Amino acid sequence: MEHLKPHVILPLQIGSLDLSITNAVLFMWIACALVFITLVIAGRAGRLVPKGIQNLMESMVSFLHQTFITEILGEEAAGWFPFVATLFFFILYCNLIGLVPKGFTATSNINVTASLAVVVFLCTQAVGIYKHGLFGYLKKFAPKGIHPVILIIMIPIEIISAIAKPFALAVRLFANMTAGHLVILVFLSMIIMFKSAIIAPFPLAMATVMMAFEIFVALIQAFIFSILASMYIAEASHAEH
Amino acid sequence: MEPVGFAYLGGGLSIGLAALGTGIGMGILVGKTVEGMARQPEVSGLLRTTMILGIAFVEALALYALVISFLLIFK
Repeated sequence: MEHLKPHVILPLQIGSLDLSITNAVLFMWIACALVFITLVIAGRAGRLVPKGIQNLMESMVSFLHQTFITEILGEEAAGWFPFVATLFFFILYCNLIGLVPKGFTATSNINVTASLAVVVFLCTQAVGIYKHGLFGYLKKFAPKGIHPVILIIMIPIEIISAIAKPFALAVRLFANMTAGHLVILVFLSMIIMFKSAIIAPFPLAMATVMMAFEIFVALIQAFIFSILASMYIAEASHAEH
Repeated sequence: MEPVGFAYLGGGLSIGLAALGTGIGMGILVGKTVEGMARQPEVSGLLRTTMILGIAFVEALALYALVISFLLIFK
């Protein structure tokens, strides 16, 4: 369990804020740098018929564009596509770096995923207030055409659901990443537990299968986070509740 | 029967019951998707994407239970 927890590499205090560089921060920087480098190289290549890395990046971006813009975000919120696509690539690279030996999954830390979810939450509220004005945004908690008595129950439910959605976003990503790494850890510790060379290949094979599944889960969770973020932004931007 | 034993029991029970509901839910979901793809193969891309979205939602519920079980076991 020890290398699943963040540890401090470079302690750094500014005033009363603890800004020390943990390995989660370091790996987030590495993920940012890798996202930047790969996408810039793919963008600079500029061939009309894409080949190699430009092909890979372009296929992912065009799949995201087709899924997000045409169905979910629509016309008005289409300007939010770069934010959501950046979220997707950043989370994807953070998840995948953890599968490399000696790599640490930054998103397996609840603080990282919670901060990403808080950013998405602030974006949705800001879009709602900007589009409909402060009063119109508050009116969205009370759908029209229902009996006033039900309204007293509906408003707390709407408020709770507005808070529960980013919370669920954070916990979903955190739990998926941590659970995957823990399952691999459990399988590999079974080798130490049994202490025999005959039984040893089976936990190893299971650990390999779980690593392959982890790659799949990393892709899916990055996609789910970004698609839910885009759905919340679209809902805040053009729902006439 | 110390209280610590109950915590371990609760941890195991929580994820076990959650996996039960998740298994049933995902089975229904994927079954309906396959049925829909068999009726109309040309929208199978859209169906596959929606199915992955639905699976993530159902899986999130099971993972809430897993988080609770971690809290019970390791605290």
